[in-house]
Amino acid sequence: MKHKRFTFVTVFQHFIMIVFSLLAMFPLYWMIISSFKNESEIFTSSLIPMVPTFQNYIYAFQEMPILRMMLNSFVVAILLTALQLVTSILTSYALVRWQVKGATIIYTILSLSWLIPMQVIMIPNYVLINQLGLNETLIGIVIPLSVSTFAILSLYQSFRSFPQALIESARLDGEKDFFILVKIILPNIKSTVASLGILLFISGWNEYLWPMLITTEMENSPIQIGLRSFVNSDVNMWGSLMAATTISCLPILLIYFLLRKHIIESFVRYGIK
Amino acid sequence: MRNNQGNSIGISTLESVPSKKFTAKKLRLFAKPYLYLLPTFLLLWIWMYYPLFSTFSLAFQKWGMVPGTVPSPVGFENFVRLLTSKDFGVSILNTVFYTVGIIPFSIIIPLILAVATHNMEGKMKNVYRTMFFIPLILAPVSDGAIWRWMFHPTNGLVNTVLLDLGIINTNIAFFSDPLFAKWLILFITGWKMMGFGTILFSAALTGISKDYYEAISLDGASRFQQFKDLTLPLLSPMILLILMMSLLFSSQWTFAYIDMLTRGGPFGTSTNIYYEMYKYGFANMDVGLSAAAALMFFVVFGIIAFVFNLFSKKYAFYDN
Repeated sequence: MKHKRFTFVTVFQHFIMIVFSLLAMFPLYWMIISSFKNESEIFTSSLIPMVPTFQNYIYAFQEMPILRMMLNSFVVAILLTALQLVTSILTSYALVRWQVKGATIIYTILSLSWLIPMQVIMIPNYVLINQLGLNETLIGIVIPLSVSTFAILSLYQSFRSFPQALIESARLDGEKDFFILVKIILPNIKSTVASLGILLFISGWNEYLWPMLITTEMENSPIQIGLRSFVNSDVNMWGSLMAATTISCLPILLIYFLLRKHIIESFVRYGIK
Repeated sequence: MRNNQGNSIGISTLESVPSKKFTAKKLRLFAKPYLYLLPTFLLLWIWMYYPLFSTFSLAFQKWGMVPGTVPSPVGFENFVRLLTSKDFGVSILNTVFYTVGIIPFSIIIPLILAVATHNMEGKMKNVYRTMFFIPLILAPVSDGAIWRWMFHPTNGLVNTVLLDLGIINTNIAFFSDPLFAKWLILFITGWKMMGFGTILFSAALTGISKDYYEAISLDGASRFQQFKDLTLPLLSPMILLILMMSLLFSSQWTFAYIDMLTRGGPFGTSTNIYYEMYKYGFANMDVGLSAAAALMFFVVFGIIAFVFNLFSKKYAFYDN
């Protein structure tokens, strides 16, 4: 009797889960199969392309500088990850290693800046980037985003839980402070830094508002911004658009399936902004 | 290599240090932590705090961002214009609508999904969780493009299917219909965020000892009672955390979809406060109005964050 109720519950649970999984995955599936449908099929609701074609991909590459935009995206995401990691590692280290005067103020400044949305500061930043002549450049996208207070606040927690005894004994051995950071702390929290890095890469890759303000030409844009202008240009080439969208998703999906555990762990550990 | 051993921890060294050199060293030691902090705080000042103050001052000025022109002071005119404009009121109501509306997707559904997958045996548990998570990591632009295609007014899948099923007689232009636009934005944002709460709740559930459940089920508690008396209280820090993130960031999460799918329309019915700031600034070139909206909302959100912080300090228990 009890066993039977249990299986009913289990079946019901699986049913709910399958419904939600379909909800989560179907749009992605629809994107991929749309990208392989030919002109006569693209507007039908058939769930598989009867005559699969690569034509959409060929068009997409003809219409948009996709490789260039993908490269831009990689450069932006990698630079952002590197800069945000460097700034957050240095900051967290300073806060853990020394009892600095004004630590409360420092912590308040960091926490408050976590709450400043780009929409509030975009105009002065946009003006400054223009004055520096950095519009339409990848540097112009990267520089204003090179500190992630979110990353600092998250990493600070990991630094704080690092055994003080190890730092202390290195100090007694007369090691230089930078050496302590690079040779003692970082190797021990490699995986933490790596998982934060993955998260920063994903959010750098997905960055929206700021790159959109800075770059207008497709050649200068990350793929996301290129896609956006393609969608907005209102050409009715949904097959090619879905092909381009599929390509834009590939790196993230690839990273996700290769590093699934780390990615989930980093989201659990760090949350999201 | 060895000579800074002494003064860094205060053990006397064999060689005596001349006092002048000592002060220089002391200064260096004092300055050192700040050198590590310098890059961050320099960048924060240039790209966050200075612009923040600029925005605040621009709120009292009039400017069209035209190169060669300078902003001119107008007092509180921007605030008056803002508060008397109809769009602004709607955008505030919509901001509240999106903020409250996201909660089922960020907390309630994820709670159900996490609890339901938690007790599952075998691989399916991870397979499901992997799938819920995918919308979250994809770029808003990609998600937006897909949904725009699915809800396309003439050729989209949703219209085709609804027509085939005989539910509707003519195509619906979903994103230009005030009845659907803002609900769809909410739904799409929620669809994206669903996996986030699920993953966090799943992690929190894994951390709860099974002994608790054994103890409480010996007392004859039903599954629902177990959930109510044990799971929910133990998840409360996580619920508060996700609630806080939803309140603070939901307006930013919806931004990309508003921009991609409706551009705030039809007739401003799906816009939110951040999108209005963007429109005032970059579509209407009305910097003062954008800045005034930014200032007002920064203050309001600051207060909410502050109150929430107090609240969670008082009621939640974090054990890291």
